[in-house]
Parts: sequence; C-alpha cells; structure tokens
Amino acid sequence: MDQIVIAGFLIAALFVLFAAGLWIGLGLLACGWLAMALFTSRPVGDAMVTTIWGASSSWTLTALPMFIWMGEILFRTRLSEDMFRGLAPWMTRIPGRLLHTNVIGCTIFAAVSGSSAATCATIGKMTVPELRARNYPEDLVIGTLAGAGTLGLLIPPSLIMIVYGVATDVSISKLFIGGVIPGILLGGLFMGYIIVWSLLNPGKIPEPTERYTFKQKIYASRHLLPTVGLIVAVLGSIYTGIATATEAAGLGVVGALIVAGLQGSLNWKTFAESLLGATRLSCMIALILAGAAFLTLAMGFTGLPRHLADWIDKMDFSPGALIVVLMIFYIILGCFLDGISMVVLTMAIVLPMIERLGIDLVWFGIFIVLVVEMAQITPPVGFNLFVLQGMTGHQITYIAKTALPLFLLMCVAVALIYFVPGLVTWLPNQMIGNAIK
Amino acid sequence: MRSPLAPLYQASLWLAGLFMIALLATIILSILGRQFDFYIRGIDSYAGYFMAAASFLALAGTLAKGDHIRVTLVISRFTGKSRRGLELFCLILAIAISGAFAFYTVKMAWWSYKFNDISTANDATPLWIPQIGMALGTVIFCIAFIEEFVLVLRGKKLDGQSAEIAHTE
Repeated sequence: MDQIVIAGFLIAALFVLFAAGLWIGLGLLACGWLAMALFTSRPVGDAMVTTIWGASSSWTLTALPMFIWMGEILFRTRLSEDMFRGLAPWMTRIPGRLLHTNVIGCTIFAAVSGSSAATCATIGKMTVPELRARNYPEDLVIGTLAGAGTLGLLIPPSLIMIVYGVATDVSISKLFIGGVIPGILLGGLFMGYIIVWSLLNPGKIPEPTERYTFKQKIYASRHLLPTVGLIVAVLGSIYTGIATATEAAGLGVVGALIVAGLQGSLNWKTFAESLLGATRLSCMIALILAGAAFLTLAMGFTGLPRHLADWIDKMDFSPGALIVVLMIFYIILGCFLDGISMVVLTMAIVLPMIERLGIDLVWFGIFIVLVVEMAQITPPVGFNLFVLQGMTGHQITYIAKTALPLFLLMCVAVALIYFVPGLVTWLPNQMIGNAIK
Repeated sequence: MRSPLAPLYQASLWLAGLFMIALLATIILSILGRQFDFYIRGIDSYAGYFMAAASFLALAGTLAKGDHIRVTLVISRFTGKSRRGLELFCLILAIAISGAFAFYTVKMAWWSYKFNDISTANDATPLWIPQIGMALGTVIFCIAFIEEFVLVLRGKKLDGQSAEIAHTE
C-alpha cells in the first residue's frame, strides 16, 4: 500500500510541475528521477541517459521526423487551393454544398499528413475565406473544419500512431492500415451531419454561384492528381509491403518536394523554412518522448502498473467497462494536455491492464487515436481550437461550441468500433506485406 | 532584449537540419538498396544516430522559438511580479533538470570513449561518436536555460503564448 501512496505523490508532483508551466518533457524527466530515487538504489542519472539514448536512436521512430517534414513542405505549397478547385464542382448538388469541401478536403489531405492541426490549417487556409465569401453559416464552416481536421490523426500517416506504436511495440504499418476504415467512416458521419442539418434548415445554405457541366467537373479534378499521387506512393507502398513506415515517409518527403517543385513553390526560402520547422517540431516531440521513455522505466520500478493490472484482474472488470472508464479519463485529460503527452504519459500504466484483459493492441491504438481526436477540440487546451482561433479570430469557447456536434459523432464512432471491432481489424489482416514493422 | 547567444542556437539548429537531410538520404539509400540488391551494413543504426543528433542539437533552437510544449493555462493568468517569479521558478527547475541531463550525457559519451564501447548491432560503430551530438545538444540546451534565466532576471519582457502553433497533433 505504501507504493500506492508514493505513486499518488508522484502523480501530484507531475500535476504541480505541469501547472506551474514547466516544459512537459522536462517535467517527465523530473518525475522519473523522483520515482527512481525513491524506489531504487541504482544510479539514476546513468540509467536515465542510457534509456534516452536507446529510445532516441531507434530506427522505428525515424518515420516521425520524416512525416513531419513532409507535412511542413506540403503546408507551404498550393496544394490546398488545388484541392478546393478540384473538389468544389462536385459538391454543388449535395445538400450542404461547399461545406463538404471541409470534410472531404480534410479526409484526403489527412492521407498525406500525419497531424490534425496541420490538416486543419492547410485546408482551412483555403476553405474558410472561400466559404465566408459565399455567405455560408459561420458556425458550420468553423465547426466542420475543427472536427474534420482531426481526421489527420486517424487517417494514416499519423504521428500519434507512430508514437503509440513505438511505445507499445505494435506494428506501425498495421496501425496505419487499421485507421483507414474508421477514418472514412468518421468522414462519412460528418458528411451525414452536414446533409441532415442542411435538410432541416432549408435556405440557410446559399445557392451555388457557379454551374458546371460533367466534363468541366472531370477536368477540374486534375487539380487533385498531385495529392492522389502522394497518397498512392505513401499508403500504397505500406499496404503492399514494398516499404516500411519509415521508408514510406522517406518517399513521402521526396514526393512532396517533387510536387512543390512542379508547382513552382519550391525555392531556397520555403525549403529552409520547411526543414527547420520540421527539425524544431521533431525535436519538441523527441524531448517529450525522451522524458516518457525514462518515466516508463522508472514507473516499472515502482510496480504501480503491475499492481493496477492485478487490481483490474481481481475486480473482474469487463473490457467494456474499462473502455468506458478510459474514454472518460482521456477526455478529461485531453482538456488539459496535448495528445502525444497524453499517450506517452499513460501508456506505461494502461498497457498492462489492456494486455491482461486480452484487448487487441491494434484496436486499442485506434481507440486511443479517436479519443485523442476528441481532445483536439475540447477547451481549454485543444490544438485545432488554437489553429482556428489564429485563423478566424473567434474565441476558443465559440469554436468549441460549433464543434460540439462533431465531438458527439466521434463518440458514436467509438461506440461503432467497439461493437464492430472488425471495422478496425479486418483491413490490417488483409495486408500482403512482409515488410510489416 | 536580444539574446546574445542566439547565433549559437541557430547554428546548432542548422546542424540538426543537416542531420535531418542525412537521415532522409539514409532512408532513400536503404530503399534503393533493396530494389537494386546492394546492402550497406548497419544502415538502420546510422539512421537512428542521425535522428538522435538532429533531435538533441535542435533542443536549444526549439526553445528559443518557443516551440517546446508547456501548459500555459495557469501561468498566463498571472501578470507582473508574480508572473516573473513563476517564470524564474520554472527556469531554475529547468536548469537543474537539463543540467543533470547534460552532465550524465557527457559522462556517458566519455565512458563510451574510455571503455571503447561498440554498438551491438551490425554497424559496429564506436558509440562515443554518435553520442557527441547528444552531449553537445544537451549542453547547449542547458546553456540556453541559464541565459534565459539571466535575461528574465534583468527584466526581459514575457509574452503570453508562442505566436506560431505547432503542427504536430
């Protein structure tokens, strides 16, 4: 029982350090240091740096900086304009019209981007001014963008899946492919919401200003080709097993550079900006991962994860009950922490419980990603909210309110994958690849 | 108030950027190797070393840009003297943690050199070579915190939040 008390003390310490504004990665290191100093007589500093060295130089993790770089390059191209021009002609007949460019644009862009905030920013850069100019209802424009932007996490490539995969030793390729069907499903739910809303509120959606013949629509679609090409190169090579996740990321960077070059938006300035931007963002995540790697080691010494797993065993918790409890826990945590910190911070403790109950780790990864997506749009801390605040000038609370219906749809998606786990697990099991991992 | 050491952080960040390019080149080589049947011994390990060097050398530059994540929810509500006090408190903690981090990293690299520690993977690299990047990066990181502490103490203006939003989530 003593251990529980000290573990409680550690969690309280972490909470105080974070609240005081200490950098998250350093807070994790400090907490790990405390835990190890309290529970072992081993030399703390040496154990810390060897663990961090091992974690920071692993081949599996190299996919992370590469996908970040790819996103940084694409953000500086004209891809979002192209996407809007290619998609808009097809949307004029569907109820809700151009609002769907938000959802479909984000769904497609998510397949070349690993991050939700980048997806939201890249697509929104184009759709928000265009939709505002055509007098679409503001709250729907913002809400659907905030919600659909989170697909950047669920639809591969996905930074959070790489982090989860490295933390749990689950194949990143399998996680990526597992996110495809839930991602499309969630996109479908969002579109359904827009259609239902438009039918219930006739007259709120402006009449289309342009008309297109079928031939014009097809011709306009050529703007989508660069994006589709990148998707085929990255996801295709993973799915068919030609490339590992890391190699696909490398291909993605080269592909993104080619697309930028062909568009004429590649010059020394954009190249240097994308490179240094990607270096800084990778570094930010690397520091958190370093802290988490050490904290995980230290947590192992406290025995807390094992005790919790034993306790879950004794309580005869059903997997369903645990999933509900975890979902509520993560939603609350997500109000205050970013997704990556949330995952690495809790995995050491949560994973033994999940394994004990025999829950599929690929399935659980997708579940975690969905819950982290919700965290992106819950105030006061939610990255998509920050992005949209910067872009539109609205208050965070207003943006969160507009995104609430989409938040609820994400809860529906969690329920769907819970009752039909095949939505997640079927596609990864069809993979041909031998390069899995 | 300008930071006099900013060029150091910027140089270190650029060095990290070069390692990113090296990482990309390594990955491309490994793909080509499989397609055209040549094999470079231990190429996976080299990719790992390049990534580690990029991550740690960028630490200070990332801090200077305000890109390292922290929870500003509480401290942004404070202004004036109490805000400055909190900031100094955080910086003291940060100096202590990053100082210990840097110290033990340098020690690890030194011991790898002294005992001629060789990578157990098939690249057989003497480990002190890649560990130099990590050692250098963590030391500069600690220096950056010390400099920031001095600047805040001497009345550097504190801003609420970083202007640019990280595209990581």
